[in-house]
Amino acid sequence: MIPTIAFVLLIGAIGAQVVTLFQGKRESDKISPLLLGATAVLLFTFTGMRSVEIGFFALTSTFESLVFYAAFIALLALGYRFQKTAPYYPVVSFGSTFIALVLLAIASSPLLPKEALPPIPALKSYWLALHVAFSFIGEAFFVVSFISASAFLISKDEGKKAAFDRITYAAITVGYPIFTAGALVFGAIWAERAWGSWWSWDPKETWALVTWLVYTSYLHVRLIMKKKDAVASLIAVAGFVCTIFTFFGVNYLLPGLHSYG
Amino acid sequence: MREFLRKLKSIRLAIGLIAFLIAGNILATLIPQGLETERYFSAYPKLVATLIVETGFNRYFSSLLFLLPVIAFFFNLLACTIDRLLKESKKKEKRRHGPDMLHIGLLVLVVGSLISFSERKEGSVTMRVGDSVDLPNGQRLTLKEFIDERYANGRPREWTSVVDLAKGDAVVRSGVRIRVNDPLRVGGMTLYQATYGAEHEVELTDATGKTRRVARGEKDGGEGIELFFMTVDENQKAVVKVTGLPNVSVVRVDGMGTDIGPFKATLKAAPTTGLHAVTDPGYPVVVAGLLLISAGTALTFAQKLKETSI
Repeated sequence: MIPTIAFVLLIGAIGAQVVTLFQGKRESDKISPLLLGATAVLLFTFTGMRSVEIGFFALTSTFESLVFYAAFIALLALGYRFQKTAPYYPVVSFGSTFIALVLLAIASSPLLPKEALPPIPALKSYWLALHVAFSFIGEAFFVVSFISASAFLISKDEGKKAAFDRITYAAITVGYPIFTAGALVFGAIWAERAWGSWWSWDPKETWALVTWLVYTSYLHVRLIMKKKDAVASLIAVAGFVCTIFTFFGVNYLLPGLHSYG
Repeated sequence: MREFLRKLKSIRLAIGLIAFLIAGNILATLIPQGLETERYFSAYPKLVATLIVETGFNRYFSSLLFLLPVIAFFFNLLACTIDRLLKESKKKEKRRHGPDMLHIGLLVLVVGSLISFSERKEGSVTMRVGDSVDLPNGQRLTLKEFIDERYANGRPREWTSVVDLAKGDAVVRSGVRIRVNDPLRVGGMTLYQATYGAEHEVELTDATGKTRRVARGEKDGGEGIELFFMTVDENQKAVVKVTGLPNVSVVRVDGMGTDIGPFKATLKAAPTTGLHAVTDPGYPVVVAGLLLISAGTALTFAQKLKETSI
């Protein structure tokens, strides 16, 4: 029920942002921040309640992960509205909200089991909770970078391009260390405790490494080679495609050690 | 030499190697790894299968196709790191050591990976309650109990092997619990709760009501009769060879019990645990590398975010 209410709130936020976009305004509307805030609160509350119900952090199934991921993206879309580091463009907030909506729609799919089940022994690890939570928090920042990089590639205005480039860079700069800690460091530590092998070249691990290498390339291209052109944005877009494939593609196309969801 | 060093530390080389590793890794997840040669020829056109097998792509992560770029990346990174450290050390202020920490972490990780790759050893043992195994550090591990906990709906909750560790006759640690995600580290070895199951045993009850158990492949008996538990047949009955009884040579025993001379034989299932043992001298080095990488990325980008013009 709670994810459904959150879904409706996100549709409201999308509607309010579409109006702003059509009006061509640079500032945010008044309604969507409230709706995004309410969505994040609802989804985090849902995660908390479910955690109490199953007696463990509710991050052990695809459904639970999607809810957490969507919650953090909603929070980030809200945070983006109030931050002062990067320039504000409604399209970035709109795109992030839209992706949160899509993720919640996938979570609500009848094909996805939603039963609140306590974790099996392999999933009962605090390292797992850290691994999943940090990975999705990092990837939430990559959602923002994907939207701004896409906007860069579409935009013809040089001023806007420079602004979108800054947003992309800022989002990846924050997301990269969090993703590194979650996907690679905590993941490796959990794998060693659970399976006795800190790295197994399982498809999920390999794709997480590929994602990390793509964002590493972005940072080197942007930071060291000082490229602020389409190449950097294309790499940022490719990075996000990798995160999506790591989550969905590997789960359903390339079975391996991570096939729990 | 100077030109070689300049090229070795170039960012273009780093990006090129990263791109090569990305492409190779992606392909390796799409092409099944470690199959028998014939299976590649049955799944792919002959030319593609030949390419996969001859280039070593069927075992990509241990092949030169993967290891050579990794080694090249290591030296590229090493050259970059030394060059950067020298430049930073010459600065009087605003030194940034986050990237150095990150790069050193990566170098340490590669070293740890290579140690792990070459020195890691593993093995498994299946034990019944009461069974013992000798550990490389001279201690003896005995399984005291195996606990299979279930939730109300039947889903597994926890698998626990309760073990004692002894040195000679003295128990050093008693009631140690090995669970999934909670391994036992002892004498440079780590023991993991890996599997569980059950093994068939034949329980013999004598005329006085005393019982003892015979495992598959073992002999037991008394009063001139010998029973040999040979195997379990397709009907899940124990096949027991009997010597010492007239006109009886083989008896099939089920869970309901069968009289064999003075004994009542009953087929039972004894719970077993599967422990996985690993020694990996590279792992502490890997952890050190991962910690440096984490600290390095956090430091690097915390400093960057402080800058006004990102």
